[in-house]
Amino acid sequence: MTLIDAARLTQTLLALALIQQSLEHLVRFRNERLLFGGRIVLCALVVSGIASPWPLVGLAGLSLLILHRFQGPYNGGSDRMGLLALWCLTLTSLLPTPASQELAFGYLGAQLILSYFISGAVKIVNPDWRSGRALADVFQFSAYPVADSLRGWAGRPRVLLALSWAVMLFELAFPLTLLWRPALIVGLVVAGTFHLANACLFGLNRFFWTWLAVYPAILWLQGRLVH
Amino acid sequence: MRSLLKLLLPALIPSWNFFDVIAPSPRVEYARLRSIGDAQGEWREFRPRPQRLAPLEMLRRLVWNPRWNESLFLVSCAERLTEEPTAHSEDEIFKRVAADVRAEPEDAERPWLGFRLVFVSREADAVTREILFQPAPRRLAEIAVA
Repeated sequence: MTLIDAARLTQTLLALALIQQSLEHLVRFRNERLLFGGRIVLCALVVSGIASPWPLVGLAGLSLLILHRFQGPYNGGSDRMGLLALWCLTLTSLLPTPASQELAFGYLGAQLILSYFISGAVKIVNPDWRSGRALADVFQFSAYPVADSLRGWAGRPRVLLALSWAVMLFELAFPLTLLWRPALIVGLVVAGTFHLANACLFGLNRFFWTWLAVYPAILWLQGRLVH
Repeated sequence: MRSLLKLLLPALIPSWNFFDVIAPSPRVEYARLRSIGDAQGEWREFRPRPQRLAPLEMLRRLVWNPRWNESLFLVSCAERLTEEPTAHSEDEIFKRVAADVRAEPEDAERPWLGFRLVFVSREADAVTREILFQPAPRRLAEIAVA
């Protein structure tokens, strides 16, 4: 996959993810409709490829207004990854030399790897994660389970212990998938399934679409590093 | 400009420490009150989660999940209020609770709206609840929900 193809695919997937998020804002408050209606128009221009790269520049500018409106990301980590992807893609499209473009796009791919590796590292140093207690806490009293019936999972310590270690080991091992293309593809399928489970159980649908949108960046980076 | 950079930089140089520690978890509770000093309000959890959610509904929420995402935003506001209180976070919670409450039957005897933040955590094997933030009530009619 060439840099241009990978960046274009990431732009399109990210624009679609941002359209999905923006539509959710149109139904609630009038003062949010202007911001997110504008974002939908710019995303549609990105998808159609019209006036490139200016719709991306517009989206990056608009992202600052949205950050100011909510005094931070509306939905924590998922919006932060969306912002990172948007700004990296904007830089990739504006920077003058192929080397600087590769640097901006490669940074996005590298951050995706780190998003898994660091998440695993900060968990495995915590005794509560190693014992399965932390995941039990997530189910027992955190704000995330989408239904009360899911809180019952807190009473299944063996299952949660196995799940905790599966998540931590997968996240820590993820960078190794860069060594071999088929391993990376399997890793991304597993990671996508993990995000799908989080979306279903904890309502984190924005993570699912945003992380999926950035997968072409890591596929490109792997090809660039290995070949 | 500096405040915008402060908001943007954590996205450009992320920490990725998701769920490193399971911190006390906030719940927003609200009550309609007779007066600003009414201590007899009936406090209710804002948007309690359903008992069960069908798998098809979970999948539908992959593409349409505005209420849940708004609730997660309120969790962020609640955490900000206990870490570094701002009028913005308090206003956002009042606004979003008021928008829902106005859809309920009118209660002329209770024109004030209050909310409080209850933080749920685990101590040893017991789940405990503690009220960590409760701003002065506001008149429901005066809360802008546009």
